[in-house]
Amino acid sequence: MPKKINLDIASVEQREQRLGTIIAWDGTTEELHKQSSYELRGQRERGAGCGGNCRLCELSGPFTQGSVCSEQMVECQAGNVRDAVLIQHAPIGCGGGQTVYNNIYRNGLVMRGYKAENLRIINTNLIESDMVFGAADKLRQSIDDAFERYQPQAIFVASSCATGIIGEDIESITDEKEAELGIPVVPLACEGFRSKHWSTGFDATQHGILRQIVRRNPTKKQEDLVNVINLWGSDVFSPMLAHLNLRVNYVVDLASVEELAQMSEAAATVGFCYTLSSYMAAALEQHFGVPEVKAPMPYGFAGADAWLRELAKVTHREHLVEKFIAEEHARVKPKIEELKKKLKGVKGFVATGSAYAHGLIQVLRELDVEVDGSLTFHHDPVYDSGDQREDSLGHLNEHYGQVKNFHVSNRQQYQLYAFLQENKPDFLLIRHNGLAPLASRLGIPAAPLGDEHIAVGYDGIVNLGETILEILAHKKFHDDIKKHVKLPYKKWWLEQKDAYILAKHPELVKFDEDEYRAEQERKEAAHA
Amino acid sequence: MPKIKKDKNGQTNSINQVRYGCALGAMHSVSAIPGAIPITHCGPGCVDKQYMSLSFYNGYQGGGYSGGAVPPSSNLQEKDVVFGGAKHLDQLIEASLKIMEGDLFVVLNGCIPEIVGDDIGAVVARYQEKGVPIVSAETGGFKGNNFTGHEIVTEAIIEQYVDKYAQDKETKKKGLINVWSELPFQNTFWRGDLTELKRILEGAGWEVNILFGYGSKGVKEWLTIPNAEFNLVVGPWLGLKTAKLLESKYGQPYLHLPVLPIGAKQVAEFLRAIAEFAQENEVQTERFIKQEEKEYYYYLEYFTDFYAEYWWGLPAVYSVVSDAAYNLAINKFVVNQLGLIPAKQIITDHTPEKYHEAIRAEYQKLAEDVGAEVEFVEDGYIVNQLLKQEDYGHKPPVIFGTSWERDTVKELNGHIVEVSYPVSYDVVLNKTYIGYRGALTLLETIFTTAISKSA
Repeated sequence: MPKKINLDIASVEQREQRLGTIIAWDGTTEELHKQSSYELRGQRERGAGCGGNCRLCELSGPFTQGSVCSEQMVECQAGNVRDAVLIQHAPIGCGGGQTVYNNIYRNGLVMRGYKAENLRIINTNLIESDMVFGAADKLRQSIDDAFERYQPQAIFVASSCATGIIGEDIESITDEKEAELGIPVVPLACEGFRSKHWSTGFDATQHGILRQIVRRNPTKKQEDLVNVINLWGSDVFSPMLAHLNLRVNYVVDLASVEELAQMSEAAATVGFCYTLSSYMAAALEQHFGVPEVKAPMPYGFAGADAWLRELAKVTHREHLVEKFIAEEHARVKPKIEELKKKLKGVKGFVATGSAYAHGLIQVLRELDVEVDGSLTFHHDPVYDSGDQREDSLGHLNEHYGQVKNFHVSNRQQYQLYAFLQENKPDFLLIRHNGLAPLASRLGIPAAPLGDEHIAVGYDGIVNLGETILEILAHKKFHDDIKKHVKLPYKKWWLEQKDAYILAKHPELVKFDEDEYRAEQERKEAAHA
Repeated sequence: MPKIKKDKNGQTNSINQVRYGCALGAMHSVSAIPGAIPITHCGPGCVDKQYMSLSFYNGYQGGGYSGGAVPPSSNLQEKDVVFGGAKHLDQLIEASLKIMEGDLFVVLNGCIPEIVGDDIGAVVARYQEKGVPIVSAETGGFKGNNFTGHEIVTEAIIEQYVDKYAQDKETKKKGLINVWSELPFQNTFWRGDLTELKRILEGAGWEVNILFGYGSKGVKEWLTIPNAEFNLVVGPWLGLKTAKLLESKYGQPYLHLPVLPIGAKQVAEFLRAIAEFAQENEVQTERFIKQEEKEYYYYLEYFTDFYAEYWWGLPAVYSVVSDAAYNLAINKFVVNQLGLIPAKQIITDHTPEKYHEAIRAEYQKLAEDVGAEVEFVEDGYIVNQLLKQEDYGHKPPVIFGTSWERDTVKELNGHIVEVSYPVSYDVVLNKTYIGYRGALTLLETIFTTAISKSA
């Protein structure tokens, strides 16, 4: 069997090439699942399978609003390692992320019981002349500055659109500096234009860590250690895994370099979302022999049960798991019954990354919250292991039923308008900025899930139910706002029923000078 | 041999803890004009980064009508890099005109199109010829920061829109002035500040084109720029370039007042300087000053009790770490109004070199008997090293700075008042720290911060 993940090359292979990721699609989850043909793709990944027949159609139109780039995901992962420094080899604009991820880092540290402190990201500050002459010396200088200022255990170097286009040879400089400084100096290929979806940035970070930080030939095994691939979320895994006599190794955010290095010593790897964990978990299994727990994600009773059983199996703790599951069911079920009464008749809409959305919809359905519509920022038709037990969309359809109006929309606010008109939900669950403000202007409250662990496991069902009740109370604010704001979209767009109409009929936007002039005149007359 | 030269503070090319955006960040200057919409030609993360940093984690100012996730963006991909993105931009503009409701569109480009050589001017010109109110601004991120970008955008709107659509560029209206001052969104309190600035100017008898924010009549107001009697630049340097452009274009003189006024003394000096420059509105100016001072000192009289006899001690020494405009303004106010003692002052906005000397001179005369040293530094690591090296005497200092200074201030056991980007631990709606009303708010903030730490 050929090894699927190639750790010999410095740049990660983009998600769209590895997995066939798309960023625009419209239909039902059953259709999407069928077209994704997880099983066939999974086989192909293993060297057999569907050949050229499993291309997933993708919509593409002339209009887009500002999205997110891979480098931002590198900042929020590699930039949030506690004793490392991230260098952005980039013009100063890319440094804007330092402010954003500092806030997240500081809050994350406090949530996990560490002292708040500023993150350490250094921008090489490229200017116009560097675009012409290159900036190798600036990169060398910033690596030296990082080493001198912070005595880090590792230095990450992120590329940028600018360095990608001018062809900076980052890898040779990181090699040179690694030899000189005696710590890992890790290049991360994350030019924003390279991949159509930002989640490639997760893979870029993980690729670098796998290549240069994870211990290659560990002398010991920690049979009770489980790698949990996550972001900055609160520590809900430790108490859960403690029931199986397992300890948690959280990676990548807020981990130390040593915690990253010891991943190869662990007994298993899990994640809260396959979008995030797919690459690293599969590579840890293929290259370091650490098994990936291949199961539905731990959302809702069916998901959590199956996930725990598989984790117990992989770590040889079957004797502990059934009792724990039974106790947990008994413990949370009365609370969930109470929540169901309060949430009766409520309708929700989920707008998050791909696999995470599947998990959240499961939890909402456990709470009897109606979900007819949803959007994900992208869709991965298969995850890196190719194993069908990780088919999160299939699991959703099978155990919880399909979602009728399912949209893949890469943070396009103008499309969300149409989705919300179609679905008229009472609330939104959301991650990533930019969409909740529109919902709010339409009178719909949103729960931004900054702590990504909120809905994990049995307690997660309760937590999410309570969170929904809290945000439904905000409705008073949003209803009031709705009456007093004007949206930046034309009447023509606001009346469209199909959010993808421009992708299907790009000719509709053809500029007609006379029509435009007449419209301007009408507008001026109205003003006067 | 090291190839990068360090300056006296040890600054290399490295910038840690950014204190400004890039030229594309001036998309915020567009969204700050009511009715204007930025269209961005750049990579997929550029708009989000500039928005999330300059607007969200900076006072949680929000995107409003045309900021945040609203701006159309080409989200350039590899094929655009290889084949050029001009066609992509053309489609995006066409679609934007169909979908977005705006009075003016400003196309800004990022690093990618600048490097691959997309001619955005040519693409935009085709729409300009067809009567679409649209302009293009070359704001590639490596060209400079958002202060630079702001002047590029302002000039683009004047050159390509105002010049074309203003009906009468000759008539000057007595008493009408254009104000160029704080940088929208970068200056966390710009909305409240510009409102207060307009209020005091109107109070003194002027008609004001404030141009950005709630107090502006939007794109329409920009069309009256040529009719102003003169331009008023408030702040150490930003806006001077624009004022000079307008001087040559529309024959308007300009008045440069480097100190953004905070508190009664500075405001009076400010308003009198304008009246004197224009030989106009002297009576109204004096009447307004008198009336405002009555209110201002009413509150200060009551504040006196606290300032004179609060038992547990108040901070005496301070440093300001901020952009040039706020830095000088706060220095002038706390020295002259409160009698605080300046330690090192640090300006972080990449003020062009040619203005440094004039700005240093302003710090030499904060008061008749008080001067301060000022450093121009952009790398946050060095900012914090300088703060730590400073001797603040026997009491912890108050640091007027940014969220980046929180760790250092804790080490110094001092007090932090966040006044400059990024202000990530303050929610800012219409708060102002300038003028008469802002000065009172600033006093409340400083001393609330200081005494709330005591128990």
